[in-house]
Amino acid sequence: MQRSAFSRPTAGARFIDPRVLARIDNLELIARTVVEGFINGLHRSPFLGLSLDFAEHRPYMPGDDLRRIDWRLLGRTDRYYVKQFEADTNTNFTVLLDVSRSMAYGAGGVVSAADGGGGGGGRGPGRDGGANAQAGLSKLDYARYLAACLLYFANRQRDRVGLVTFDDDIVEHVPPSARHLEVVLHALDRAEPGVQGSLARPLLRIAEFFQRRCLLVLISDLYEEPEAVRDAVSKLRYKGNDVIVFHVFDPTELDFPFTDPVNFQDLETGERIPVVPAQLRERYRELVRAHVGALSRLLTENRIDYALFNTATPLDHALFAYLSARQRLTRVR
Amino acid sequence: MLSFLAPLFLAGIAAVAVPVFVHLIQRERSETVAFPSLMFLRRIPYKSSRRQKIRHWFLLVLRCLAMILLAAAFARPFLDRPAEAIAGPLGSRELVILLDRSYSMGHGERWARAVDAARDAVASMTGDDRASLVLFDASAVAVVEPTADRARLLAALDAARPGPGVTRYASALQLAQRLLDASDRPRQEVLLVSDFQRSGWDGQPGARLGEGVTLIPVDVSEPVRANVTVTGVAFTREHVGGRERVTVTGRLALRGTEPVRGLPVTLEVDGRALQTQTVDLDPNSATTVSFDPFTLPDAAVRGAVRVAEDALPWDDIFHFVVSPGQAVPVLVLTGPGAPAERTLYLRNALSIGDQPPFRVEVKPVERFAPGDVAGRAVVVLNDAPFPGGEAGRRLRSWVENGGGLVVVLGDRAGTAAWADEAVAGFIGGRVGSPVDRPPGRSAALAFLEYGHPVFELFSAPRSGDFSTARFHRYRQFEPAEGSTVLARFEDGAVALAEARPGKGRVLVWSSTLDTYWNDLAVQPVFLPFVHQLARYAAGYVESRAWVTVGQVLDLADAAGPAAAAVAGGTDLIAVAPSGERTTVEAAAPLLELGEPGFYELRTAGRTATPVDVVAVNVDPAESDLAAIDPQELVAAATTPGGPDRAARAATMDGAPGPVDLERSQSLWWYLLLAAFLIFAVETVLANRLSRAPR
Repeated sequence: MQRSAFSRPTAGARFIDPRVLARIDNLELIARTVVEGFINGLHRSPFLGLSLDFAEHRPYMPGDDLRRIDWRLLGRTDRYYVKQFEADTNTNFTVLLDVSRSMAYGAGGVVSAADGGGGGGGRGPGRDGGANAQAGLSKLDYARYLAACLLYFANRQRDRVGLVTFDDDIVEHVPPSARHLEVVLHALDRAEPGVQGSLARPLLRIAEFFQRRCLLVLISDLYEEPEAVRDAVSKLRYKGNDVIVFHVFDPTELDFPFTDPVNFQDLETGERIPVVPAQLRERYRELVRAHVGALSRLLTENRIDYALFNTATPLDHALFAYLSARQRLTRVR
Repeated sequence: MLSFLAPLFLAGIAAVAVPVFVHLIQRERSETVAFPSLMFLRRIPYKSSRRQKIRHWFLLVLRCLAMILLAAAFARPFLDRPAEAIAGPLGSRELVILLDRSYSMGHGERWARAVDAARDAVASMTGDDRASLVLFDASAVAVVEPTADRARLLAALDAARPGPGVTRYASALQLAQRLLDASDRPRQEVLLVSDFQRSGWDGQPGARLGEGVTLIPVDVSEPVRANVTVTGVAFTREHVGGRERVTVTGRLALRGTEPVRGLPVTLEVDGRALQTQTVDLDPNSATTVSFDPFTLPDAAVRGAVRVAEDALPWDDIFHFVVSPGQAVPVLVLTGPGAPAERTLYLRNALSIGDQPPFRVEVKPVERFAPGDVAGRAVVVLNDAPFPGGEAGRRLRSWVENGGGLVVVLGDRAGTAAWADEAVAGFIGGRVGSPVDRPPGRSAALAFLEYGHPVFELFSAPRSGDFSTARFHRYRQFEPAEGSTVLARFEDGAVALAEARPGKGRVLVWSSTLDTYWNDLAVQPVFLPFVHQLARYAAGYVESRAWVTVGQVLDLADAAGPAAAAVAGGTDLIAVAPSGERTTVEAAAPLLELGEPGFYELRTAGRTATPVDVVAVNVDPAESDLAAIDPQELVAAATTPGGPDRAARAATMDGAPGPVDLERSQSLWWYLLLAAFLIFAVETVLANRLSRAPR
């Protein structure tokens, strides 16, 4: 059914995996914060409007619609009160995609952008995507699949979708628009690993772009100190944006399964160091766990949603698990 | 005991460090894994010692073993077993020992080492081996034909001595090949024992041994510190008080690396030291030493220039014979009433010469008497008619017996005197009337027979230009059959013709030798031309002051009393410096000069004083001891495709040589095979072990 929406071939459509969408079809990605939309949607609006959710009463003011006077309260108190309802609206949904050089990494080595995808829906990180990931799907590819699915998902729930790609600066910026899905998908298709990345500078500039509160999804491998990540991402929060951070990891980055002593070369800096993996593995895993734990803790403290995505995990599983958990948390609130 | 033919290759065992290096260093560093970030890895302290752990000891051992086997194979190992053990598979040997006996082998200890090397070769003979001994210098002599008798070979070696000859490898190699061609032995070897002088090898293509023949060079040369050579002498003659005085100048050369200071150089005449001078010589330089002049007696004297003996004594003395000056007597007959200036140019030109000097007498033809030809070598009829009567007949007779006549035709020569048939036949043509060239169109000499001795001197470029001489008048001359035209004018008329009546020579010049009919007399070529005319007409042969060892003296074509005696049909006895006597037959008066010193030529059957003396010297080229690389000679003298000669060159110290042992055992082949097998096993194992995930 989702394919029918793309009767016209779109370059980035290959990143939208039908199996992923089928899996998360009954879920919603709703902003935890109120967002300023123009039309009715899933997100809470900062303005009171017409909806089924009662918000509050306020004294009648001349000019108020008489139909909104709470007559039962008038009968009990003999005062005119107007019944106000929360407004539901749509929002700007923007994916901030890290395209720094380190994102080119996959379990099979460095994967170029051209190698990342197959035909539309033919190859992706769905159920078979786990195998694909292990066969060399790069983090960037995985992130593009993730971004595409989220963007399509958001667009379907009438949100305006936009995309920003960045490494140490903004590479491409597609402003949010309800009609920008194809543009965004094209931009995703063009995204290629860039240079050495950093978060502070591009995220600060991105924060300056958005004048209206919106839902921002940052997809990155976050190779910076947790405090630096927090500081950079927190800037996105200043205007009340809802920020979700998807931390993408290749399984080899997490498990460090290497055995033979080799030279390890930093993809971004080119620096080489000789490493005996057997001697370092446990220590490395400890450091990664500590890094992830610190990120999770610091971002959560700042009301920033954080999720770790292992590219070996099928995207539909990972996304379903995340959205389900978020939905539960939203209801609890 | 295990030995190695090329032990230097054992240094290759150091290559076992390669697998160790691969294990410890290269294998780790050769591969690089790209990783998104080294942020975490950098926080972990790095210890290089961790990487020095060898995981697959068995692989390392295999690789080291393969390297050792490879190095050992290239070192060509062999077991030092008794000679009998290998005699069978190699077969019997035909050995030709070429022993250099040139005089350079007398330098220092060369000859002793050469004989020792030859002895070793003889001692190496086993079983059915045969050997022959060839002594060679410029020529080669097989002093011992192929034999298995070692005692005979050793005796011949004992008797051998270096001689005065020069080194020529070609003749020795050719003789060796002839000896090998006649052999049926499967192994054929030539042992060349020499000091390998470069001057002895000129790469003659004919001097090449056949395929399968091994040439083993044994170099006995040694560094030359200083070798002084008397390379020659020169004479300057002068006449003082009617006696001839000679100044001898000796030429010395020093080859070597050290200078020589205060070297005494002595001039000896007839065995008596006349004067000694000292000279200083720098390395690789030459100098001359002039001695005070001495008066020549009437007979030839023997002389020598001698320096103090050095390591090579053969070239320290230079012998020579100085004879009194041999002036050519010339009688110039002038035409009737001819003024003196008609003979001026001719007389002056002949009086200048000193090689040979001409003794000129001018006489009017009308006063020519039959007895005037006695003691003359040449008679010149300078613009004079042929003498008539008895004088004429006597002149013809004299010429036919070996005299020389030059006829110069001018206006006074006339035609009548030449019209006689006898005279015309005698001079080889008819004399005609004068031919005047038109004014402004004088003739020039257009054809010269440069191959003739008269003009041979002018054959080289820029050695004399006859074309500048202008001829205004000449006399016609019709050469008869049998006479030779040596020069023509540009109109084809004969300018110079030759007739050979009897043993004599008649040269007819159809113009004058003064400035009346031409201007040749004022041209630069006039003087040498006149000298050549007189020399040729006189049949002058320059006597040589010395000859070189190895030359063959042909007395029939020489000058001096010995040549005259042989010409007269007298057999001679040649007494060599060593006292050896050789008969020189008048029918074939050839004498081979094989010793330096003085050869005396005496009349056979008499004990009178020598009629002639010939000085003989060694060839100074042999004193140049610069050596050629023996392998260069081996490469040039052997046929490609033969056995490994270079390797065998170093094995002449025993019997059988290590090369033979190594070749018969061929252990290297097994080692190489084992190494390759180990490499194959190692490859399989390494592939399996490397499949473990990283």
